[in-house]
Amino acid sequence: MVVATEPSLLLERHDGYFCSRFHAMASPCELLIETTDQALAEHLGRLARDEALRIEHKFSRYRDDNIIFQINHSHGQAVAVDEETADLLDYAKFCYELSDGMFDITSGVLGKAWRFDGHTAVPDEVTIEQLLNHVGWQKLNWSRPQLILREGMQIDLGGIGKEYAVDRVAGLVQAQTDCSVLINFGGDLFSTRARQAGKAWQIGIEQPDYDKLHKQAVANKLIEITTGGLATSGDARRHIIKDGKRYGHILNPKTGWPVHGAPCSVTVAAVSCTEAGILATLAMLQGEHAEDFLVTQDVPYWVVR
Amino acid sequence: MQLKKPKPIRRLLTAATSTLLAGTAQQVVAAEKTPWQVDSAFLYYSEQDRVTVYEPVVAVRQETGDDEFVGMRLVLDSMTGASPNGAIPTDSPQTFTSPSGVSTYTTPAGETPLDSSFHDTRAAISADWEMPLDERLKAVFGGNFSREYDYTSLGVDATFSWDLNQRNTTLTTGLSMSQDQINPVGGVPTGLSPVPTTAGGQKSTEGDSETKDISGLLLGMTQVIGPKTLLQVNYTFADEQGYLTDPYKLLSVLDNSGQLRASDPYVYEKRPDSRQRQALYVKGVHQFGADVLHASYRYYWDDWGVTSHTYDLHYRYELAGGRHYLQPHLRYYLQNKADFYHYSLEDNNIPAYASADYRLGDMSTTTIGLKYGLVLGESHEFGARLESMQQKAEGDAPFEDNTAVIFQLNYSFLF
Repeated sequence: MVVATEPSLLLERHDGYFCSRFHAMASPCELLIETTDQALAEHLGRLARDEALRIEHKFSRYRDDNIIFQINHSHGQAVAVDEETADLLDYAKFCYELSDGMFDITSGVLGKAWRFDGHTAVPDEVTIEQLLNHVGWQKLNWSRPQLILREGMQIDLGGIGKEYAVDRVAGLVQAQTDCSVLINFGGDLFSTRARQAGKAWQIGIEQPDYDKLHKQAVANKLIEITTGGLATSGDARRHIIKDGKRYGHILNPKTGWPVHGAPCSVTVAAVSCTEAGILATLAMLQGEHAEDFLVTQDVPYWVVR
Repeated sequence: MQLKKPKPIRRLLTAATSTLLAGTAQQVVAAEKTPWQVDSAFLYYSEQDRVTVYEPVVAVRQETGDDEFVGMRLVLDSMTGASPNGAIPTDSPQTFTSPSGVSTYTTPAGETPLDSSFHDTRAAISADWEMPLDERLKAVFGGNFSREYDYTSLGVDATFSWDLNQRNTTLTTGLSMSQDQINPVGGVPTGLSPVPTTAGGQKSTEGDSETKDISGLLLGMTQVIGPKTLLQVNYTFADEQGYLTDPYKLLSVLDNSGQLRASDPYVYEKRPDSRQRQALYVKGVHQFGADVLHASYRYYWDDWGVTSHTYDLHYRYELAGGRHYLQPHLRYYLQNKADFYHYSLEDNNIPAYASADYRLGDMSTTTIGLKYGLVLGESHEFGARLESMQQKAEGDAPFEDNTAVIFQLNYSFLF
């Protein structure tokens, strides 16, 4: 992933709000800012872009100059991490325990066996067994601020990075303005407060591609968000089909195999984007029981199957 | 199988997340909006020197529950112009009485006789209700009603779709039934009886109205072949019983010398009162990047001896990142005639059934068209389509070729 050194920032004026666009974390990012003050909109756009790029730079596992690279290439040596990284590791540990091991930031190495581009062969059991030796939060040693990773293990904060960035930007924006701002990083989003005159931001949830093939035009689901976060897990385009069997891209970190019966996508609304993202991911990991899980959590949700 | 109930974890998660973020949010307010989806279209169809049709359509659809929808559709057809009445062109002018029997029209020598009293307005309304019966099983129930001055139709249908194989396969079965009533102007003419040739002449009739019952069955399968490819196969069967004749069509009767016979030169057509129609349809859809290709073939056959092949191809070119698209369309239709199709009849050799309707003859049509679409944000889409259709007599069928222009505007929006 190549990140442009001077990414462009686009500002558009719409009816009643400004839209600031940029690209970060491999996603189109935008801020919808309900204001007539162009200088404010430009300022917030810059603030958001800088924060998104800072988080990407710091936590992307595709770079060789950040803390994640240092941890993943520590060869069993202890790495002392900064406060923010420590907070995220504490949070990852909490989510691992809360989900009985289903949410695991060490599961990324399984991606070596599974490439969900629609064509690659299904890996054999032996390959997966070998990779599973390097998966499992319980195998690493985390004693704030010190992390010891066994040789061959890796961590990846990609599962919460984008949602975390949305919430961080929301915090920065709220410190600057009282107007309603929608922060949308590739479909994970947060609305800082209600818009004027009872209006809400409208979000479309994309339907699976094969539904688009089936019908000439499929109306996307439309969600109105007034305040809070919204995150979507799942991507209907990422799967393998082999011998007529469809393998979704949601991997169970305990077995190394795709979760059976996972929905195409799960969208959850919660008080923060990060929380919505964790709930959406955990729901996907429940496979055919995704809806049962979401009903128990008592959150607004939308499942596309 | 899951044995234990999922545990509630949200409160704990909220607390931990707020520690991570130093508390940004207070509450969440989000709800799904279920706008009305409105599709409107206006179609103009015009055959050279013949029929012109104006057809506005409005359809609305609303989500009424989880994956549950109701829809309604209203179509108005307004037809004007002239249509071949079935008689052949001759060396001298021909005079016909209109179906009502009160007036006459004359066709000049050498021209295909066209009945210009042909104008009509049809209104059709249909409604459907789509609902999930099970996580994998969907049902659509529909009803339709249409009315024009001499024709009324009432129908119901039900379609069930069953997703299998992790939704890579969908099996579909549909049943439909309709009952039509025909009230021809001037009564139902007796099949193959002479057509009066002077205004006020009496035709032989069999009452004022007739009925027609149609039952249909659809069996279909849609298979996802790969992430970008889809294959659909359908078999349809329809059984029609009742009055299947066109009460306004006639045939010319020729004598031994090949001239119109002196007395009663025209007779009303007569078709069998039952028909079994079947068709096999195969369609492939493939995505090339953002573009989509649709290719289909249909083979049709019925117990009247009609067989046909339809080849249809359209390709959607996405332009400007999906903001516009262009869609060229190519269609070829080739038909073999019905057993009782006759261009004209011979005196003293009148068969049990006969029709000179070119739509039952050996013919082909070729359609070439282009559609332009403009996507205006999430909820508005505009389209314009222009097509040209060439209809040709095939083999030694001597009827006249024809061309038609089709122009359609459509606009879809949410509100």
